[in-house]
Amino acid sequence: MAELYVKPGNKERGWNDPPQFSYGLQTQAGGPRRSLLTKRVAAPQDGSPRETSPGPPPMGPPPPSSKAPRSPPVGSGPASGVEPTSFPVESEAVMEDVLRPLEQALEDCRGHTRKQVCDDISRRLALLQEQWAGGKLSIPVKKRMALLVQELSSHRWDAADDIHRSLMVDHVTEVSQWMVGVKRLIAEKRSLFSEEAANEEKSAATAEKNHTIPGFQQAS
Amino acid sequence: MATYLEFIQQNEERDGVRFSWNVWPSSRLEATRMVVPLACLLTPLKERPDLPPVQYEPVLCSRPTCKAVLNPLCQVDYRAKLWACNFCFQRNQFPPAYGGISEVNQPAELMPQFSTIEYVIQRGAQSPLIFLYVVDTCLEEDDLQALKESLQMSLSLLPPDALVGLITFGRMVQVHELSCEGISKSYVFRGTKDLTAKQIQDMLGLTKPAMPMQQARPAQPQEHPFASSRFLQPVHKIDMNLTDLLGELQRDPWPVTQGKRPLRSTGVALSIAVGLLEGTFPNTGARIMLFTGGPPTQGPGMVVGDELKIPIRSWHDIEKDNARFMKKATKHYEMLANRTAANGHCIDIYACALDQTGLLEMKCCANLTGGYMVMGDSFNTSLFKQTFQRIFTKDFNGDFRMAFGATLDVKELGVGGTSQWKICGLDPTSTLGIYFEVVNQHNTPIPQGGRGAIQFVTHYQHSSTQRRIRVTTIARNWADVQSQLRHIEAAFDQEAAAVLMARLGVFRAESEEGPDVLRWLDRQLIRLCQKFGQYNKEDPTSFRLSDSFSLYPQFMFHLRRSPFLQVFNNSPDESSYYRHHFARQDLTQSLIMIQPILYSYSFHGPPEPVLLDSSSILADRILLMDTFFQIVIYLGETIAQWRKAGYQDMPEYENFKHLLQAPLDDAQEILQARFPMPRYINTEHGGSQARFLLSKVNPSQTHNNLYAWGQETGAPILTDDVSLQVFMDHLKKLAVSSAC
Repeated sequence: MAELYVKPGNKERGWNDPPQFSYGLQTQAGGPRRSLLTKRVAAPQDGSPRETSPGPPPMGPPPPSSKAPRSPPVGSGPASGVEPTSFPVESEAVMEDVLRPLEQALEDCRGHTRKQVCDDISRRLALLQEQWAGGKLSIPVKKRMALLVQELSSHRWDAADDIHRSLMVDHVTEVSQWMVGVKRLIAEKRSLFSEEAANEEKSAATAEKNHTIPGFQQAS
Repeated sequence: MATYLEFIQQNEERDGVRFSWNVWPSSRLEATRMVVPLACLLTPLKERPDLPPVQYEPVLCSRPTCKAVLNPLCQVDYRAKLWACNFCFQRNQFPPAYGGISEVNQPAELMPQFSTIEYVIQRGAQSPLIFLYVVDTCLEEDDLQALKESLQMSLSLLPPDALVGLITFGRMVQVHELSCEGISKSYVFRGTKDLTAKQIQDMLGLTKPAMPMQQARPAQPQEHPFASSRFLQPVHKIDMNLTDLLGELQRDPWPVTQGKRPLRSTGVALSIAVGLLEGTFPNTGARIMLFTGGPPTQGPGMVVGDELKIPIRSWHDIEKDNARFMKKATKHYEMLANRTAANGHCIDIYACALDQTGLLEMKCCANLTGGYMVMGDSFNTSLFKQTFQRIFTKDFNGDFRMAFGATLDVKELGVGGTSQWKICGLDPTSTLGIYFEVVNQHNTPIPQGGRGAIQFVTHYQHSSTQRRIRVTTIARNWADVQSQLRHIEAAFDQEAAAVLMARLGVFRAESEEGPDVLRWLDRQLIRLCQKFGQYNKEDPTSFRLSDSFSLYPQFMFHLRRSPFLQVFNNSPDESSYYRHHFARQDLTQSLIMIQPILYSYSFHGPPEPVLLDSSSILADRILLMDTFFQIVIYLGETIAQWRKAGYQDMPEYENFKHLLQAPLDDAQEILQARFPMPRYINTEHGGSQARFLLSKVNPSQTHNNLYAWGQETGAPILTDDVSLQVFMDHLKKLAVSSAC
């Protein structure tokens, strides 16, 4: 789901600045990688100049591709293009579809979370709305926010968290002011959810102990 | 020999150990005759995805002076439930939990495939990780904005229960009190005056007056190791406020007049950071992360004055004893580094500026504590941003790769007691060079089938905050040099030997004069060739080295030309940076630094390694060079012409498009994973950046000898430094000569 792309580095600030990899590509890299290019060639022991490839360098065009399925003289890495990923044509994420669930989630948390934190989150959601409505957010950011909200609504906390991280890494300039509010909202919703689940379990256990008729629970 | 290479490889994969010699000389005299010392490279926390840690504590030898850990080399009596320590021969009773063991039911730590094993310590409270940001505000607007964003981003990468703090500095030093209330407070210190730890703690209100005995008070912050302080708060509580605080940071307000440098009080800022952590969280994993955009120009630890017309010291200045501030500044940072290490904390330095920032003077802060050193041109570069992100990379278990507070114990057979080292910050690639001294007297007989054994025990704090112990126990055969020379030759690990000698060389270079180190290195190489080469006396053309030595002279040739030993092409800061990374990387990466890798791409076949030599630069090849610090892609003249003509865009020349892409893909693999991120140079024949390639390759064809070879192949290099051929010729002459 996360974008996989490579952008060139900041050539103005560092002429040899390496390319920038998206969060998705970097987390893909993961654990230890066997270095692929590690072999060396010993110098000839008798010291004669090495035999280089025969023939003069061709002055004409390169050898054309053969018609047979090509055996690539290529390296071993994945070919990810240097151009930014182009998204399949789909309708742009709708602001309301993103903001409404977030505001609902915040409402859900109001009983459980300190007022000051809720106000802080609310302030940041307002900022998000303002920036979205004002056309200040790029398409990838809006798209990923839509995905984040989906994950949040489905209670997939880790996935939502990962999307928030990918946005912070790849688009920090756009999102830094309000994203920390979304991050906190995910955390609060997650803790509220596990509290509720724990309470349900407890009251179910107590219900059994008290021999109450299953299905009849006190409204809390 | 193929089998020895496999043996070496398997051992490195399993135990993270590479020895210069895989059979050991049986006496001190023999050891000196072998020229290359008996030494090993150890990667204590080598990543082992296939090795789950065991959830119990290690069984130790009961002899108080031994305390070796139970390992596969120990003799076991399963019936009597006894084991014999292989280091001190003490017989030990197994603990009750081992009552059920037998030959067919062995505990993991006795099995040979668990020569390396990791234990998780269950007892004791687990303290959170601590990150203290120390931020220079004397940056240009763009740079400060980029740095602020990187720090805000990092709050999303830190674990929620980690503690985080912020100190900013410029002319003054500000310690920010982190609170969840709306008002942000800070304590301001003058940047000109150093303070003791106690003064800092008093001024920050970290010490409370002594309490009368009868009053029972709740524990004060510094007594309660895992409570947070006002200056270090958990991420999950403080992230919103800290994000805003970072967002509001301004450039240092003190105006900088024309011809002057900003007044930067790095020395005091670091001192306060060290003192703050010392007073609140001693002996728990913590990183002080210093972000600086220029040299310290004020107060203790200043490296240059504020007059721009007086440049920061160069190697020439240092050689002529013309570096006014160097000794005093180095002393200040060494004092801080030692205190930090004693507290179990580490210091990272992230220095991004076009000019030097004082890494030479500050390097001990990173080197002595196991912290990182990152050097870039600006905080607004991909190099800094991604390198910084990679500090927070997670491993296959979703834990940070960084580890803290390690102590390494090395136990050897026959020597009473153990050697211990402290490494406050380390990660799965951190590699130590350990040098051994053989103490047996000459002619002491080796026990029949005798093997020497060494045990490495690393206690450390894992990033999940668990305490763990990694134990590696290895054994090798003793050998007699006189009677078993061929055996010893075959057991030589030329790659490990090259890196171990190089580390020794760099160590000497930092304490001695440059040319002396080269002479020492040459002398060792000649002696090694004399001892292990096959030749007829006085006949250089007869000289041969066996396969296990064939790459070694080349490694030494490139080492002599490397930035680790040739400093005058670099600034003192650059040399410090290169040496810092060289001293801690594993074998493969260290070798890349000594002798860069060069691969050639062409239509003639798959990509192949080629000699790091100007003869490898050909018109119809693409070269990829990896020096560890730079990745260089170089298009030969014809390839460049074809690209300019646009053949890659024509469908009938699709294979040319693939040829151009192949080295880019391989470069990407390297760029995606390496820490720190290398610089990336994509150039071609005649390009100004081609100099990066040309300066590294051996100049076998210079303008002096181009026509002597008889055929014009490869690109000539315009330099007068000695080529590998000349070097090898001299070496052979000296090795076969009876005069040496």
